[in-house]
Amino acid sequence: MDREPFLARVEGYHKGGWRLALINAASVLTADEAEQGAVDVTWAFARDAEFEHIRERIMPGDEVPSISPSFSAAFLYENEMRELFGLNVTGINVDLQGQLYKTSQKVPFSPSAIRARLEANAAAGIASATMPVAGAPAHGAAKPAAIAPAAAPAPAASKPGAAE
Amino acid sequence: MKKTIIPFGPQHPVLPEPLVLDLILDDEKVIDAVPTIGYIHRGLEMMVERVEYTEMGFVVERICGICSFMHGMGYAVSLESIMNVEVPERAKWLRLIWAEISRVQSHLLWLGLGADAFGFENLFMHCWRMREEVLDIFEKTTGGRIIHSVNRIGGVKRDVSDSELAAILARLQELAKAFEETARIFASDPSIAHRLGGVGVLSAADALETAAVGPMARASGIRTDTRLYGANLYDQIEFEPVVETAGDCLARAVVRMREIPQSIDIVRQAIEKMPKGEGLPLENKPRGNPVGETFTRLEQPRGEVLYYVKANGTKYLERFRARTPTFANIPAMIKLVKGCDLADVPNIILTIDPCISCTER
Amino acid sequence: MSFFSKSPWIFHYDASSCNGCDIEVLACLTPFYDLERFGIVNTGNPKHADILLITGSVNERNIEIVQNLYRQMPDPKVVVAVGACACSGGIFARAYNIQGGVDKVVPVDVYVPGCAARPESIIDGVVQGIAALEQKRKKTA
Repeated sequence: MDREPFLARVEGYHKGGWRLALINAASVLTADEAEQGAVDVTWAFARDAEFEHIRERIMPGDEVPSISPSFSAAFLYENEMRELFGLNVTGINVDLQGQLYKTSQKVPFSPSAIRARLEANAAAGIASATMPVAGAPAHGAAKPAAIAPAAAPAPAASKPGAAE
Repeated sequence: MKKTIIPFGPQHPVLPEPLVLDLILDDEKVIDAVPTIGYIHRGLEMMVERVEYTEMGFVVERICGICSFMHGMGYAVSLESIMNVEVPERAKWLRLIWAEISRVQSHLLWLGLGADAFGFENLFMHCWRMREEVLDIFEKTTGGRIIHSVNRIGGVKRDVSDSELAAILARLQELAKAFEETARIFASDPSIAHRLGGVGVLSAADALETAAVGPMARASGIRTDTRLYGANLYDQIEFEPVVETAGDCLARAVVRMREIPQSIDIVRQAIEKMPKGEGLPLENKPRGNPVGETFTRLEQPRGEVLYYVKANGTKYLERFRARTPTFANIPAMIKLVKGCDLADVPNIILTIDPCISCTER
Repeated sequence: MSFFSKSPWIFHYDASSCNGCDIEVLACLTPFYDLERFGIVNTGNPKHADILLITGSVNERNIEIVQNLYRQMPDPKVVVAVGACACSGGIFARAYNIQGGVDKVVPVDVYVPGCAARPESIIDGVVQGIAALEQKRKKTA
């Protein structure tokens, strides 16, 4: 991801009086992306009923700049992303040094950890989700994903500001 | 002066839940606080791997035993929005009624715990005695005191008859009358004013900066309430969010106190407006597996909750995420703790109405 | 009955419960259910306690806390596991961070079922705990 334009955009939200609603990471579980270890990170901002977000695809080794210069309350989300997904978040204003959660598995939400658990489940005959196989059509490819905040009443209030 | 570090928690008499703060003290003043969580982390979000989406709602309800109904509702609303399921009108109204009753329950619970924290045990007992009335209503209508499991994707599981609803309203209005006396004590008792007044002041600017939500933000003069945006039939309800301007511990208690009669009034409006009669449809069952993603916002007793759901067309969701109000309020809490006296720390922590099991999931 | 079983002090710890059982434990102490009529007092100090009520299952992080609290209690002592999670892991047994019921870490004397456990069954569990406490006292006496 491009660091400077991204931080400038985040600062734009800050200046516009938006509140940080959520930073969410999600491992991408389509065959190729899961193999490469891709994680989608979404920064969501709210201003009353308005709800917008920025989304970036993070590959292993990519740097994720902290948005704490603009939103000082981002540190919990960022520490969490680092501990649960193993993302390289840099410049957090309150760095908890990996002590926020102390989970029994290392980076339990990362694509590799999910793969390991699902494969172990399959080997043990435990019902669970399965990892997609390369070459097979991706899960859910038939229909494009649509994002709309369900609690916002009218389409006018929901402006998906996705940038990928 | 030598700096002292005092660990607060994980077992502390004020909190039934384990929250850990390392308080760094300069004499009696707190100069920094470092949070550590994870004592209740279950990895609930990752249970989507092994629990099918139709059953995941029961897990989501157990994020927290206090806002259990609202969590179940948030999950159902998210899946309904992905799967384009239209919920029957009576089911929507029932959800709204239950949601407001759980707000009354949660606020009574908090007022009691708060009173216990500042040493007013009598008031604690009073609030919890009233709360039992509300739990009785829940038990009668849903079958459970704490965990209700009435939400289904596409509607609700049980109906409540019109005569029963009228009886519930009468009971709640009686409770509101009895609560007036308790509210008067909260507002006028000098020991409460001494313990909470002027303690832990969060300015409106700080509340915005730290992204505080719910009563925490409203006590600092910010008119924010997810219910104002009209989803889940709130557009048909007349209400004005309770806003206080002092921003101190007392203001946060007063906001919750004033929201109790307001929620009871919302229940009254809902019962008047909902379609009447026996045997109305309560559930439209979804077909197939969900594909797509969505954000859902709801106003829980503690503030705005956000759900993110991503589904990929299989019976297992790809990602479920809940950003609970306490998670959003922790930065504000840490800001308040810095600079306060050690003896005020329990009160400040309690007035954000922390729910640690929500936060860690 | 000795002075001991007439007024046992209980101590509550939330291992990784969803709050449901915790607030029911607290509800037991309030006027409606009034556990205190059995002479039971809720204390915040493990060294004062005879009965340990644990809600929720254990995870990596709180194992040592639970063991530490148990160690600090004076003998004889009784552990009551409250709720499905404390008994076996409950609905969260499938979560990656959960190790299982409390009995994996400390010996449990009484299991209280339910999700969330009802106040009536918690009271019943505590009263059974008093009996277990009395037996242990006789053994050590």
